Amino acid sequence: MGHLAAAIVVLAVGLSLYYASRQIDYEWRWERVPHYLVETGGTEIPAPFDGTVKFAPDGQSLTLTPLLGGGEPVTVAGFDRIEVSDGDIVFAGNTLGREHGWSAGPLAIGLWMTLKISLASLVFALILGLVVGLGRVSRRVVSRDLAALYVEVIRGTPLLVQIFIFYFFIGTVLSLSAFAAGVAALSVFTAAYIAEIVRGGIEAVPRGQTEAARSLGMSAFQAMRHVVLPQALRSTSPALAGQFINLIKDSSLVSIMALTDLTKAGREVVSSTFSPFEVWFCVALLYLALTGTLSFAVRRLERRLDRHD
Amino acid sequence: MTDARLLIEVRHVDKCFAGTGTQALKDVSLSIHAGEVICIVGPSGCGKSTLLRTLNVLEPVSAGEVWIEGVSVHARGARLDRLRTKVGMVFQQFNLFPHLDVLENLMLAPVKVLRQPVATVRARALALLEQVGLADKARSRPGQLSGGQQQRVAIARALCMQPDVMLFDEPTSALDPEMVGEVLDVMRDLALKGMTMCIVTHEMVFARAVGTRAVFMEAGSIVWQDAPERFFSNPENARLRAFLGQAG
Ligand SMILES: Nc1ncnc2c1ncn2[C@@H]1O[C@H](COP(=O)(O)OP(=O)(O)OP(=O)(O)O)[C@@H](O)[C@H]1O
Ligand SMILES: [Mg+2]
Repeated sequence: MGHLAAAIVVLAVGLSLYYASRQIDYEWRWERVPHYLVETGGTEIPAPFDGTVKFAPDGQSLTLTPLLGGGEPVTVAGFDRIEVSDGDIVFAGNTLGREHGWSAGPLAIGLWMTLKISLASLVFALILGLVVGLGRVSRRVVSRDLAALYVEVIRGTPLLVQIFIFYFFIGTVLSLSAFAAGVAALSVFTAAYIAEIVRGGIEAVPRGQTEAARSLGMSAFQAMRHVVLPQALRSTSPALAGQFINLIKDSSLVSIMALTDLTKAGREVVSSTFSPFEVWFCVALLYLALTGTLSFAVRRLERRLDRHD
Repeated sequence: MTDARLLIEVRHVDKCFAGTGTQALKDVSLSIHAGEVICIVGPSGCGKSTLLRTLNVLEPVSAGEVWIEGVSVHARGARLDRLRTKVGMVFQQFNLFPHLDVLENLMLAPVKVLRQPVATVRARALALLEQVGLADKARSRPGQLSGGQQQRVAIARALCMQPDVMLFDEPTSALDPEMVGEVLDVMRDLALKGMTMCIVTHEMVFARAVGTRAVFMEAGSIVWQDAPERFFSNPENARLRAFLGQAG
């Protein structure tokens, strides 16, 4: 009953959006969206150097003779479609033709970049978050202070500003690539939140667990490693998964750097096609697919772990 | 007293808790020799747990000295973790590791701390589970066991380190009455095998039957100690008499 009501509300909102868009005289071109994801034309084959084209008799390959006389002619093959004519003069980088098959469209390439940057940031954020989280519960005052300062500074400043600082300042000083700067900014940001989750998880493990471990002769480190942390990470895994989902969404902010992630790819496609509505809906759906898959996977994993308990 | 080996000795120990300023121990001295079964009784809050925890240095003392197996725990470079491997401890709340199964609970410390071979430890762990009557629970999680079963696993876990002394802090106080017996049976068994034990308990009948020495604490001090027989049936100390009268 409740589900039906929700479905009706969603439908109503969708319909009103549709009619609203009719008002502004927008031409929907959904049929073009798949091409932004997968290009069926195949990848371009560029000319390796300046030269003169000569077709082979079979019409499937061609030879390119360098201009200016220097060097041997080179045979180029593997065409689906040749896009030059016999006897043409081409310059290095010009398109000779297209290969067989499909290639990734701009949105797919952007999606892949988003995935790469999120996964790389995730790994570093987990490590850093664990270290800072352990610092928060350390017996050493120095570690506690430094960890607390880190968390305060990072959580008290906007991610966008941090990305600017990493890209323009730290990135320049250490001459980081845009990718490295993006991963660094996202890791440092996410680690602050992970650290707080880890701290909460550790503090929620009863004191008796540490005491039992210590009474068995374990060092403080061993007690943390074998007894407290496994329980802390298990009980905080929903919160950690939520943080990973945030990380994927936050990664859209790196599109302000010279990095073509999903969001940047969306902007580029919009500016060359003038179909902003379809493209942004499509981009949103792709993010949703990523985060949805992740939360589904995490829930499956948790159910598996629960069955073991 | 006896010429048995001196395992643990505390001398003139004071303990103040920094946070609350509570003085939990006042000038407490106690020595534990091999083969002794010492039972400590006393009213709630008198410092029994605190004393037990100083015996394996879970709680550092404010003043006084603690020796474990002839090694002063205050000595520079004393390996406290190493010393603790010789002293097993059983807690009121069991404190089993819930993320591990029973066998893993037993095997964790011998493998990770003593670095003994897994096969050796496994064989010993299974034998100990047999001894406490839980051979069929090796692969269960602590959460699936009753309180009495959990406490027997906790005893087996401590024994798996092959300690020289076992400390028990009210091992049956958190149990339903019908499960107290099974845990006391395991402990009696252990005493008969010659294990050195120091037991904080409210089980007077058990203490009298199994103990070799009984100790009465009040307000952070050891007020009286005696052979269990005389301690319980004919106490020569007025405050102990009052305490036993209340406790029934
Ligand atoms: N961590 C602590 N911080 C501050 N005070 C404490 C701490 N642990 C114990 N105390 C205090 O020290 C005194 C002795 O406590 P202890 O736990 O040793 O008593 P006990 O004899 O074991 O009592 P019970 O029979 O209730 O277990 C009590 O007054 C208690 O409030
Ligand atoms: Mg106590």
